[in-house]
Amino acid sequence: MPTRIGILSFAHLHAEGYQANLRAIPGVELIGFSHENGDEGRSFAEKYGLRWFSQHRDLLAAGLDGALICGENARHRELAEMAAEAKVPILCEKPIETNLADAKAMESICAKNGVWFMTAFPMRFAPSTQAVRAMIRKGELGNVLGVNGINHSEIPKGHRAWFADNNLAGGGAVMDHTVHLADLLRWCFAAEVVEVYAEIDIYPDEVKVDTAGLMLIMLSNGVQASIDCSWSRPTSYPRWGHLKMEVIGEQGTAVMDSFAQYLTLYSNNGLRNPSWIGFGPDPNQAMIEEFVASIQENREPRVTWNDGYQALRVALAAYESAKKKEPVRLDHPS
Amino acid sequence: MGEVHAAAWRSTDAELIGCASAHLDQAEALASRYQMQTFADYAELLNEVEIVDICTPTPLHKPMVLQAAKAGKHVICEKPVALLAEDARAMILACKEAGVRFFVGMVVRFFPQYRLARELVANGQIGNLCVLRLKRVSYVPQKSLDNWYFDPTLSGGMVIDLMIHDFDYGRWLAGEVDRVYARRSRSEVGPAQYVQAILRFRSGAIALVEGGWAYPPGVFRTGLDLSGTGGLIEWNSDQPAPVLTFFPPTSHDTASVGLPVSGLGEDPYTAEIRHAYHAIQAGTNFEVTVEDALEALRISQAVEESLSTGKPVLL
Repeated sequence: MPTRIGILSFAHLHAEGYQANLRAIPGVELIGFSHENGDEGRSFAEKYGLRWFSQHRDLLAAGLDGALICGENARHRELAEMAAEAKVPILCEKPIETNLADAKAMESICAKNGVWFMTAFPMRFAPSTQAVRAMIRKGELGNVLGVNGINHSEIPKGHRAWFADNNLAGGGAVMDHTVHLADLLRWCFAAEVVEVYAEIDIYPDEVKVDTAGLMLIMLSNGVQASIDCSWSRPTSYPRWGHLKMEVIGEQGTAVMDSFAQYLTLYSNNGLRNPSWIGFGPDPNQAMIEEFVASIQENREPRVTWNDGYQALRVALAAYESAKKKEPVRLDHPS
Repeated sequence: MGEVHAAAWRSTDAELIGCASAHLDQAEALASRYQMQTFADYAELLNEVEIVDICTPTPLHKPMVLQAAKAGKHVICEKPVALLAEDARAMILACKEAGVRFFVGMVVRFFPQYRLARELVANGQIGNLCVLRLKRVSYVPQKSLDNWYFDPTLSGGMVIDLMIHDFDYGRWLAGEVDRVYARRSRSEVGPAQYVQAILRFRSGAIALVEGGWAYPPGVFRTGLDLSGTGGLIEWNSDQPAPVLTFFPPTSHDTASVGLPVSGLGEDPYTAEIRHAYHAIQAGTNFEVTVEDALEALRISQAVEESLSTGKPVLL
């Protein structure tokens, strides 16, 4: 029996990669995708040779074993509720929602219906982050003095306009990027974020959401870390951006650039010239495989709702800190 | 640093008269390498020169600058200008009143990549500045008989001695700083430490400044990443140098205090000394003023205050 997967909404550009990831897994049947905008839906259906459903409920009614939620951030709850009520396990794009109330509602409806919820944090599945985490966990770097984290990109509105629409995205660069590094820090150190200080700004006039964020974070184990989540790469940059993390320990330092494996392409027809074309493993593939495995083995996925929720809290605390111009504490009742 | 400056002076047409040091053996070694006299007494040295170059531990800067000003001699002084802003102000005033020139060696402004990046920014190549990232992380100063960098009462500690360079550079790029917030981690067993600071400039730009004595001995990494409304400038010291060398491993000694490798071409310390010397000779303005040095010190002090209070500090 193949594992039947559907993609709820193609609003997030990652859906375009995920459909290929799903098709590469033996034993997975990609049933199709749902998308409410007819023009876009028909266009994606043609481009990828997928069955298009104009209503999310119709896709769910086709009988799914798992659903990927790739809607706009502010529509995740609505899609998660439909999937949970149809008893379909969920892999939800990050950030899981735009506010804590909606995020919590997603957890309760999944619990009520007995379906697992996985947060899409692909960087946990990159060999680079796994290697750095192993060094930290084995104590190879010694006492860690600090972490310097960078998740830069260009302003993504060229890919999808809603990324720069506050109502649909819940914010800009801070909402988009903070969660990746916040999650890596929680995961590498098995600790929670207890304090956040942030400076946030909107730089070019063409967008109305924040494009820049610098934050200093304190973890519950006393480790300090910075996160630069800025959309500070120009559109002429050789790639969308990068994810980097330097861990400075007393016995050694690890410098990670997760997308460092690339060729430099100079092409007279290229949109970016030069452009960096990666040849490293695709972390999305391993993430999707874990989602499928959790369904097949009927177990909790290795990245949970709580992981998505805690990372969202950090992004929201950053907005609060920038507004108050002071550090914001996050409590973690045991 | 006396050695580095002596070599820089050697490349000018100035006459190297002599040196004085609390460590006479060091002074004699330097004097014999650069064919100068040694002076047991600073006052005697002052009698013989027109310009004095002060490379002593930071707390000695003030009395030595004041003495030089009193003697009517131009002064070149290593950074940080002083450990306290009040002292720096007194030094500036004394030189002004004595009518002598006073130059503080903020050497990063003489590194070619930092100068070029500033020039590109000033020419509008990347539009208005948005997010700046400045890195300067070195290793713990190595133990030696007279290594005073360890002692924060002498060096001011890592923030005032090392991060001051990037505070100055950030200010050169983006103007005055409004607000700072910083975090520090220290080793429980040694002087290793790592600091990250967020600066908010009055112009609206923000910066992450990273500094540390935290890497293994011999490792010193610097970098800049300047994003603007119309572009981006990236550079870091991990990039390949014009010459890479590969030798079998040997037991190389590590310099007692890390200095960034400046690559081929004119050494920035030499560029700095030549600039100061020519400006004194020609009576022209210094490219980096003592007021700049004072402001960089004030930013460093604000960062120290944020580190101890855990709160943002307004300048």
